[in-house]
Amino acid sequence: MEMGEGWDEPSSFLNRTGKRNIQRWKGKTASCPASECPVGTAGVGTQVGRERRQPGHHRTRQEQQPLGGHIGGSHPAALPGGECPLQPLPRAHGHPRPRRIRSPRLERPRRAGTAPTRGNGSAHVQRRHPPEIGISREEALEALQVVRQECHGDAARTAGGSGATRKCTALELLEEEQAQGFIITFCSALDNILGGGVQLTKITEICGAPGVGKTQLCMQLAVDVQIPECFGGVAGEAVFIDTEGSFMVDRVVDIAAACVQHCHLIAEAQQEEDHRKALETFSLENILSHIYYFRCRDYTELLAQVYLLPEFLSEHSKVRLVVIDGIAFPFRHDFEDLSLRTRLLNGLAQQLIIIANDHKSAVVLTNQMTTRIGQSQSTLVPALGESWGHAATVRLIFHWDNSQRLATLYKSPSQKESTVAYHITSHGFRDVQPPAVTHSAEGTELNPRKRPRTEEEKQQ
Amino acid sequence: MVVLQAGLCPGLTEEMLQLLRANGIRTVVDFVSSDLEDVAQKCSLSYKALVAVRRVLLAQFSAFPANGADLYEELKSSTAILPTGSPSLDQLLDSGLYTGELTELMGAPGSGKTQVCLGIAASVSLGLKQHVLFLDSTGGFTASRLYQILRAQTEDEEEQARLCFVLQLEALQRVQVVRVFNIYELLGALQELRDRLSQQAVSSVGPLKVVLLDSVSAVIYPVLGGRQSEGLALMMQLSRELKTLAREFSLAVVVTNQVTRDSSTGQLKPALGRSWSFVPSTRVLLESREANWERASTQRAASLAKSPRQPAGIQVELDIG
Repeated sequence: MEMGEGWDEPSSFLNRTGKRNIQRWKGKTASCPASECPVGTAGVGTQVGRERRQPGHHRTRQEQQPLGGHIGGSHPAALPGGECPLQPLPRAHGHPRPRRIRSPRLERPRRAGTAPTRGNGSAHVQRRHPPEIGISREEALEALQVVRQECHGDAARTAGGSGATRKCTALELLEEEQAQGFIITFCSALDNILGGGVQLTKITEICGAPGVGKTQLCMQLAVDVQIPECFGGVAGEAVFIDTEGSFMVDRVVDIAAACVQHCHLIAEAQQEEDHRKALETFSLENILSHIYYFRCRDYTELLAQVYLLPEFLSEHSKVRLVVIDGIAFPFRHDFEDLSLRTRLLNGLAQQLIIIANDHKSAVVLTNQMTTRIGQSQSTLVPALGESWGHAATVRLIFHWDNSQRLATLYKSPSQKESTVAYHITSHGFRDVQPPAVTHSAEGTELNPRKRPRTEEEKQQ
Repeated sequence: MVVLQAGLCPGLTEEMLQLLRANGIRTVVDFVSSDLEDVAQKCSLSYKALVAVRRVLLAQFSAFPANGADLYEELKSSTAILPTGSPSLDQLLDSGLYTGELTELMGAPGSGKTQVCLGIAASVSLGLKQHVLFLDSTGGFTASRLYQILRAQTEDEEEQARLCFVLQLEALQRVQVVRVFNIYELLGALQELRDRLSQQAVSSVGPLKVVLLDSVSAVIYPVLGGRQSEGLALMMQLSRELKTLAREFSLAVVVTNQVTRDSSTGQLKPALGRSWSFVPSTRVLLESREANWERASTQRAASLAKSPRQPAGIQVELDIG
């Protein structure tokens, strides 16, 4: 194919790309043999980063550098200034016609597999500017990969699999999820709508009006996480971060005693060896000694505690539950700068997700409710704003319905939204109609902190 | 920034380089943006030589204009339209997700953004047999839900249980999940992806078609605002990475975003502000039909907030169940 003048012949260039070249700066119709060439005048450049097959006489040259670079020096010849409408520079008289730069890189044949393919668009090797340290791009990429692998290896060794080794296929994740246990809540209806219980590696948020049972559930979970595996638990320890001061140890004693008794009943019913062995370590004292309690009085302490938690968790690797009871309380009063609050909360949320993921533990948060006043009515919505709603992966809302406590699953990645009823008894969190066999059906007893409602008084 | 070196272009010799460096001109940008007469005087070089060198450098390092007809041809050959797995959403998006573009899904918590993303991943992986990359920054990716969606889709078509199972497993293997919990990890993951794709390492990545990022506001919010000035810059760098990926490798990039409440009017508006609103080419708002959370359903309404092809404001019903 013919080339216009001033075009230094790039035959190897042609062979490499298999494309024909377009006259860039020349742009006269004279150089284009077809008289009805619509391309016509200059300015027909080539799309960066794309491969083109132009019919007929259009001569295209392949461009590579998407961000403003280009194969080093392969075209510069076409700069006869005066004729190009784009570049009004005077022609450099006496200046020798610039030669096409031949740099050793350019002559290297393309690697197999790096040839541009049509359907994929511009999937070809991008040659950037001449290397400053004297190596080619492929070598640089390989060096980077080796360094990354080294870093991943180090991170995995020191931090126990955290950090950068978070890449896997969905199949592997599925296997992991199916092998993971759940933390049961002792209310089978609630467990059902949650898909088995509180999930590990996810953040669960419990919102509710005062007195509806959020702290009760947290205390129940702190005990339930320690249930041995042969009884269906995850045999882990718990971290309880309290900001409101609502953690009552005597209540936990009641709940733990009921749980131990429940397990004893199961062991007696089934008479298996490992059940009995597990029960030796599953005693009241053990349960209480494996709940790590932190008291944080304002948001600075809370943030500090959460950011220091990874170190604590790497020392106590059996922790499977982190409860923050009252995440709304320190952030709701005494905060003038709302954008700061949003930023802090979002940073906190990301830190909690990292903790949940790296240490394979469940994070449970409790939130308060606030009133949103709409045009015609006002509704109760969870506090801390809209952006906080995205922080939790699973959201449960507890509310009253005429003295019946209901739990609604509002947000979950894998379960449908639904509502169930639950009760709080002296033994802890329970179903409304407890199932027959081993659960001992108790009447509703008073939650000692709550003022009795009329129906509960009647049932006493 | 490219440093000036001998051999970068024909007129640039070592002596010239030394003189230029002595006057503080080290990179191509310095050279091209400086006043050549001044430089010629200070370095005692020939003006014409400098002009020629500058022309060459400009031609080498600048981007070239393209013809509309060429662009159109190219678009026709390289763009694909991917089905999202939900016919009403496809209708909203003018028959599906376009590769080479960034699409954004925004909505309140619980409105179904992650579900739609999982649906897209399932449909592309199962139907088109292409690879999918899911960048998870909220911990919301649940493989069992993806499996559920895949099961629902294969059982419609195939009769044999064993064949279904094999198809589902293969589809699961084509979805790669990377968990990135802050902006730096995310940028690192995107750059690694770009390097891998440009090296054409076929084995691990395969023919990648969709990159899903759930969600972008979770990683940007902690660095945006306040006295930190780098938040906006990081956001723009992220947007550039995503768009470059989409353009260069013909991928469809889907991003999820939050909504916040406008303090003055009380209405919901997309998060991340005006700067981000120019980044995606298509924006879809997902909302729940019910006003409050007491009545739950799996119906959602998707409306088109911004699109280069369809009129904004179209609404369709979506079932995420």
